[in-house]
Amino acid sequence: MQNQDRCVAQHEAPSEPRGPYGRLLFWLAKGFAYAGGMVFIALVLMSVVSIVGRKLFSTPVPGDVELLQLSSAFASATFFAYCHLMKGDVKVDFFTAHMTSGRRVLLDSVGSLLVGLLGTLLAWRTAVGAVSLKEGGESSAILELPVWIAQALMVPSFILLALAGFYMCWQPWARGGARS
Amino acid sequence: MSGMQLGFLIFGVLLTLLVLRVPIGVAMFISGAGGYLYLTGGQGTPWLNSLKNLAYARLSNYDLVVIPLFLLMGQFATHGGLSRLLFRFVSAFMGHRKGGIAMAAIGACAGFGAICGSSLATAATMGQVALPELRRYGYSGALATGALAAGGTLGIMIPPSVPLVIYAILTQESIGKLFMAAVLPGIIAMLGYMLVVQIVVTLDPKAGPAGPRVPWPQRLRCLFEVLPVLLVFVVVIVGIYGGWANPTEAASIGAGSCGILALLSGNMGMSELRKSLLGTAMATAMIYLVLLGADMMNSALAISQMPVELAQWVKDSGMSPLLVMGMILLIYILLGCVMDALAMILLTIPIFYPMIMGLDFFGLAQTDKSIWFGILALMVVEIGLVHPPVGMNVYVINRLAVDVPLIDTFKGVIPFLISDFLRITLLVFFPVISLYLVHQFGA
Repeated sequence: MQNQDRCVAQHEAPSEPRGPYGRLLFWLAKGFAYAGGMVFIALVLMSVVSIVGRKLFSTPVPGDVELLQLSSAFASATFFAYCHLMKGDVKVDFFTAHMTSGRRVLLDSVGSLLVGLLGTLLAWRTAVGAVSLKEGGESSAILELPVWIAQALMVPSFILLALAGFYMCWQPWARGGARS
Repeated sequence: MSGMQLGFLIFGVLLTLLVLRVPIGVAMFISGAGGYLYLTGGQGTPWLNSLKNLAYARLSNYDLVVIPLFLLMGQFATHGGLSRLLFRFVSAFMGHRKGGIAMAAIGACAGFGAICGSSLATAATMGQVALPELRRYGYSGALATGALAAGGTLGIMIPPSVPLVIYAILTQESIGKLFMAAVLPGIIAMLGYMLVVQIVVTLDPKAGPAGPRVPWPQRLRCLFEVLPVLLVFVVVIVGIYGGWANPTEAASIGAGSCGILALLSGNMGMSELRKSLLGTAMATAMIYLVLLGADMMNSALAISQMPVELAQWVKDSGMSPLLVMGMILLIYILLGCVMDALAMILLTIPIFYPMIMGLDFFGLAQTDKSIWFGILALMVVEIGLVHPPVGMNVYVINRLAVDVPLIDTFKGVIPFLISDFLRITLLVFFPVISLYLVHQFGA
């Protein structure tokens, strides 16, 4: 509902999947977002248990802070692809509002290309970073969880963001050029 | 090229990209990356190395986790029907007065703002609940939609507030203190909006007729129903200020208890849970992408030394501090014409914050000044949500009110905007309004 409001305010049509590739991508992006959301719900439960445990029995969940940090990093990364597919990016619409919709579609396509490139770059560098963390053998303070795993878990989300960007870039042309 | 020139060039590139509809996060990333590459001598290696840890370092930030958690809390509150309880409660007590139902809508927005950190969500959910009632009792389209669009901004003005969290993270200020500082200005905002409704109905009694008087037994039942919502707010706020939970933990408790309330209310089924998760995903990703871009840009700006040099230049220029403040606030209002509140905070705070901190305002201490400026920035960026041409809240509400022309809604918002400007002036000249509670309770 909120998404539709955004689209109306930004002069865009709400997006929907087209073709088998598009459907697969939307399905994956939604799946990632649900999974990330469920991780956050689990974190909420853990924190509540930890706070109650600390206050009442002086026994918090051990390593609750680092669990929250490690998991929230990859859980939040899962949200990016879904947001881009739903045209949720924050952008400045004011200067292009008067343009023909064909030109706006062109600009948005370029914007999505850039999102795709950024996703690719982040996936690549985050993966390289995870490898060097693994070699460094860095682990969290209390539970000694390997940090590289948390960082490596972000990589699929950035790959999906890259795919979402390229899909949204190519999509207007796939159905026979932009409307004008 | 001097650091200052390069800094301005980075901004120039950024603005060009923004005009071309490039998503703000990506635009900030590109212009920041360009500056970074130039400053490190055009070699890619330091830049590529800096990226290895960028996403993880940002997204695993402990303070930042409050954002998805507060968003989740707001989603639970929205889909769990808590907004309806709030509205019924306030309108049971105020609805029989002239303009009372519009005031009730504003009061309920404030209540909802206390468990939700987003303005758009507050406007949308209260709009759905209150708009049909307002129209049923014959409120004018302009007053009904104007009150709701303005009331929605209470969502971010009353803590928890996502822009304040971002401000706190950028300036390394305490989230708890900023939330506390926002309480009184938020209440003043609510009272100001109610006063506007009072004035509008006094001038034009037809705009807001009185509703029926609700008998006391029913009022008490409404109060009873709304108690759990109040409890959540009290737990979150007291938890943070009482010092037995940090903001991240308080947000967890808030999200957990709103989830339970939503489940108990019977409104929260599988489909509402899905909607809540997707809503959280969307809003979080929107913010985080901008945040990642801002990180890139801020590290480039920091290397260029431009913010420090600019702050020094402003200090040496001998301009009156209040004039500088006035100009900054004006820039926010202008930027608000084209830009989203969060993007504005992320974009401008690295520049404006050192400037403000270098100047003397009423002899305020550094920490006081930083909290006071945070509240002022919050108040001005919030105005961008209701004034033309972007005015996201206005569009959201107007879409719900199919029979009200957009121009009526914008007209309806004007009196509320006037109260916004008066309040901001008040807050500029009386920092004590923002700082009183912080000094009273802050250790």
